Amino acid sequence: MSSGQSPAPLPYTDERHQMAAQFLTEEAHLLDTSDFEAWLGLMDRRIRYRMPVRVTAVKAADEVDVQTMHHFDEDWYSLRKRVQRFQTDYAWTEDPQSRIRHHVSNVRTFEGSDDELIVESAVLLYRSRGDRTAPSLLSAGRTDVLIPTEEGLRLRQRDIEIDESVLRTQNLAIFL
Amino acid sequence: MAAAEPNGIADITGAVRQGLIPAFLYNDAEVYELERTRLFGRSWNFLAHESEIAQPDDYVVRNIGDDSFLVTRDSDGQIHVMFNMCVHRGMQVCRAERGSARTFRCPYHAWTYKNDGQLAGLPFHADAYGGEAGFVKEGQALLRAPSVAIRNGMIFASLDPDAPHFETWLGDYAFYLDFYTGQSAAGMEFRGPQRWRVEANWKIGAENFMGDSYHTPHTHASVVDIELFGEPKPYKRKEGVLWHAGPGGGTTYKLPPGSDFRSGLAYVGYPDEMIDRMAATLSPPQRALVDEPGFMPSASTLFPNLSFVHNWPQTDAQGRITPFISVRLWQPVGPGETEVYSWFCVAADAPDDYKAASYKAYLMCFGSSGMFEQDDVENWVSITTMARGSMARNLLLNNRMGLTLDGDPIVDQFEGFGGPGTAYQGFGEHNQRHWFSMWADLVSQPAPARQPMAFGMGEQPA
Repeated sequence: MSSGQSPAPLPYTDERHQMAAQFLTEEAHLLDTSDFEAWLGLMDRRIRYRMPVRVTAVKAADEVDVQTMHHFDEDWYSLRKRVQRFQTDYAWTEDPQSRIRHHVSNVRTFEGSDDELIVESAVLLYRSRGDRTAPSLLSAGRTDVLIPTEEGLRLRQRDIEIDESVLRTQNLAIFL
Repeated sequence: MAAAEPNGIADITGAVRQGLIPAFLYNDAEVYELERTRLFGRSWNFLAHESEIAQPDDYVVRNIGDDSFLVTRDSDGQIHVMFNMCVHRGMQVCRAERGSARTFRCPYHAWTYKNDGQLAGLPFHADAYGGEAGFVKEGQALLRAPSVAIRNGMIFASLDPDAPHFETWLGDYAFYLDFYTGQSAAGMEFRGPQRWRVEANWKIGAENFMGDSYHTPHTHASVVDIELFGEPKPYKRKEGVLWHAGPGGGTTYKLPPGSDFRSGLAYVGYPDEMIDRMAATLSPPQRALVDEPGFMPSASTLFPNLSFVHNWPQTDAQGRITPFISVRLWQPVGPGETEVYSWFCVAADAPDDYKAASYKAYLMCFGSSGMFEQDDVENWVSITTMARGSMARNLLLNNRMGLTLDGDPIVDQFEGFGGPGTAYQGFGEHNQRHWFSMWADLVSQPAPARQPMAFGMGEQPA
């Protein structure tokens, strides 16, 4: 994962880091409570939301060179469609809903250009469906670009590094 | 399998041929063992597309069931499919999923194979084996896939050295395959695959794509509701023709009245440049499928477990309609688990703008995050869970849609359909019954015993 544009992360005492960490916590809360409309409100209209398919490559090769595909490559239009779908009465895969929890940690904030913040984080998504005893777990790293606005921080870009080449989940009817 | 002939297989295939599916077939260890040995041991299995190993020395590693295969393009450009097991002590030779390599060195004892499979070297051949006197190195190679065939750049292999000739076996299905993977003389480009595991039996996806136009209006109602894809309305699906030909079948959508080849393709969002390419590669009879009365291929399955989908969703807020093609493999990993491999497929020389929009269309609709696929898999996991229990042993599911109780079709075959094979307009499970008849043919025949091959003993492997 890129280390952002600064050589070192902002100290935890820096207000910008605290704002970024709070943004991620509040965002996770919206997702865990299915408030997708409010979640979409945190997105800048120019949002790029991407999650490449991980490929097992030899150590000497750069994995990025053999990646050809994404799980997500979203813009505002497609994220909005995904949210609208959850709001219909026919999104069967989440009716009954999964019990989900986003565990966000390892937050590192870097100064970007033009007041942007580059924020790295780890996320563990716990998803339990029906009476199945084995939960679906998704572990990922994220690199976000947050931009300040009058309404607060907004997500301009998210690059998700999922930690599996073969996902052990029936679908990605979730957001990371 | 302990018994010479597994208990009840004749009853199972008998029921299946009548359009009645013993519900436990969707999650049963004995049935799965028969599928593994008798069906996947003999069928033609899709591995990869040539574009995934476009350059000399490129490789990918793919499975047929439990068997790992190394699919390479050697330094001279030739394609090879080899069992990925070192012939010395059995280690998996290549443990990466894709990359570029001239040789593969086994991590265990450093036996080294060229990317055409030939054994290039083993350490201390003279000291450890006494040279050729103890291990005949000359001519040794990784075990080759017994049968290999390539069509439209798609690489297939069979574990059966006596597999039917691929093109003969493919038969009239080839006519339809070209709509998905024959759209340009420059060939297709496969991206991916996305891979994910679902707790569903592999047969369900294969059957669904083969001909289940009946599920679309309900399962995928959300996608219509949000105006992502307007076609799957009940009356629209009912006008489509279901066809089966050779070892496959599929669904179509009826095009607006008066459609011809160009206007039909334009209706589903193909730009002129793409229509020109398809006009050049598709034969006059293939083009006539799109002419009045006009049908556009949608989902399809090639037996046993390779499926295709062609839809045309709205890909931006301005209402642009863009078609996409996905190729998917329902790779069994157990009676109740499947690994889905899902590729995006596009003409290699398509305009960049079209490629980008088509890729977007794919990601929104199908694959691991696709808004269609999400609801499909929910159904298939549920079926597989229900099939595990005792009650499912006493239930024959009805797969007879389109037939009277006497076994006669409720409508005549559709005469105005331009493609080969058998075609019915409206809802029906004709294709699923065709799929299951092929399934029954294979699982009811014991697989012939094979002579194991010894390496380094002075005889050339066959």
